[in-house]
Amino acid sequence: MKKHLTKKIISEKAMRIIYYVLLVCVSFVFLEPIFRIISKTFMTPEDVIDPVVDWVPRKLSLNNLKVALKVLNLKVTLNNSILFSALLAVGETVCAAFTGFALSRYQFAGKKFWYVMILLCFVVPTTVLMVPRLMMFVTFQETIKFTLIGTPIPQLLMSLFGQGVNSTILILIFQNFFNLIPKSLDEAAMIDGAGPLRVFFHIGLRLSYSTVLVVFLFAFVWNWNETYVTGTLLRSGMQLLPQKLALFDSEFESVVSSSGNAFKINEAYKMAATLISIAPLLILYAFVQKKFIEGIENTGITGE
Amino acid sequence: MRKMKTWKQRQNRNGYMFMIPWIIGFAVFTAFPFAATIILSFMNVNSTILGYELKWTGLSNYITAFFKNVEFVPALGGYLKVVIPYTFVVVVVSFVIAYILEHIVKLKGFFRTIYFLPVIIMSGPVMAKLLDTKVSDMELFAGQSYSDIFIIQMIASYSRNAAVLVTDVFEQLSTILWFTGIPIVLFINGLQKINPSLYEAARIDSANEWQILWKITLPIIRPTALIITVFTIVQLGMFDINPVYSLIVTYMGNTSGGLGFAATYAWIYTVIVLMLMGIAFLILRERKNKVKHY
Repeated sequence: MKKHLTKKIISEKAMRIIYYVLLVCVSFVFLEPIFRIISKTFMTPEDVIDPVVDWVPRKLSLNNLKVALKVLNLKVTLNNSILFSALLAVGETVCAAFTGFALSRYQFAGKKFWYVMILLCFVVPTTVLMVPRLMMFVTFQETIKFTLIGTPIPQLLMSLFGQGVNSTILILIFQNFFNLIPKSLDEAAMIDGAGPLRVFFHIGLRLSYSTVLVVFLFAFVWNWNETYVTGTLLRSGMQLLPQKLALFDSEFESVVSSSGNAFKINEAYKMAATLISIAPLLILYAFVQKKFIEGIENTGITGE
Repeated sequence: MRKMKTWKQRQNRNGYMFMIPWIIGFAVFTAFPFAATIILSFMNVNSTILGYELKWTGLSNYITAFFKNVEFVPALGGYLKVVIPYTFVVVVVSFVIAYILEHIVKLKGFFRTIYFLPVIIMSGPVMAKLLDTKVSDMELFAGQSYSDIFIIQMIASYSRNAAVLVTDVFEQLSTILWFTGIPIVLFINGLQKINPSLYEAARIDSANEWQILWKITLPIIRPTALIITVFTIVQLGMFDINPVYSLIVTYMGNTSGGLGFAATYAWIYTVIVLMLMGIAFLILRERKNKVKHY
């Protein structure tokens, strides 16, 4: 009997060790690209083409970072990117809160239909919508004689009306959180004479500051990383960090050769630029990573 | 005195009051463009200074897409070659990771933080730069390649294509794994919702962990797997690893007649994506009538 038990304990321990080894291996595969970015960033041009140097550079060089900073025009692009993403994120958050509240609180006619439509919005690829959207905005700007393409206005409108990046997920996060607030609070407020808007602001929103923050952060990050819609509607109207990174190769030539230096572009410069452009997001993640994960857990799309 | 409204009327009015921004946005920015794309796919669109010139051309865009254009059909094939194995790997790997994370106690949060990180930093340009570097690294370290591994060569002796597919998956493993961030969290969430008394009952009937996994966990997790499959297909479509996507982007930049083609391509692509989701649904839907009655 005792022998049997020890056998079981040993096999459980072995299993646990296997689990941890597996997890560490997978973590390495996850982080490998990031390690590669960091290691390449600090390599000298000689190290990059030397097949002997794989991970650790022979000599730390900050030159790549300096050049990449200049090419990316970080001061301007960072500010622009933060402003742009925050603006769209606010729009998306406001609309998601309204829609989530409607879905959680009211039994209106056609609710099921709209719910399915909200889910479908997520499934339909954005590519199929962009041609008419672009034509719509171009035609509209011709009729009112006011430039829209090249400004953040089209995207702000789309975000404000709930058609921004992954708006569906944001709506689901809000809906699920509002479901957790007891309805008796609303009823109490309504007996005291509060209208639906007052209930929304004073009970719904007041209790969900942390949800608002989560949704805002997600919207911020997704708008930051979004390049397709932005490339079509904003184009080069604003210098944004991810767009600059996409154009890095061609910009590099013009900026560096115009300043009279004879650097040739190599992996190290590209990786330095990549590191710079993801650094703001990495810093953000370092502070609020728990909130992000909880946010996805709270969508409740795994079925309640 | 104002007439009192019924409960139902009030629910309707208030509900639509909160829904109205989304409904307007949906109609203007999603439903209308979706219908318009279908119509535009039968048209030739010229953008001039005066505006857009539309000309009905019937099926000619489709004929060009499938028979005349040399890029489109290979791009579609390339897309299917990427999306099917990638989705499969993403769903399986994220389930395995979620399952393991559910069975350990220490460092759970730490690992979850690592696995979620790509969701935050992943964007088109970053991905493009990483793939770029990977290619040039491959050239540099030409000696080592996955295709030299014994097992892969064994597969190659049966079918070259299968071997190429497997090699691709291994070479792009980090890229593929970067799509598992959200699926892992969703799977963990689904696993936590399984009633523990089911496991206990199975253990009392002397089932081992392996049997429990196949007979209880997997059948219950199936709907979650469906959601994750759909989610992954959507995610994979949005990046440059999808050749159709870059093709459509190129055509959208082309002002003379390009928009009509872009609409046609986008529409065909959407139909294929929806079909893939339909197939996923057929495979993973709950099969209620298969339960045997004794």
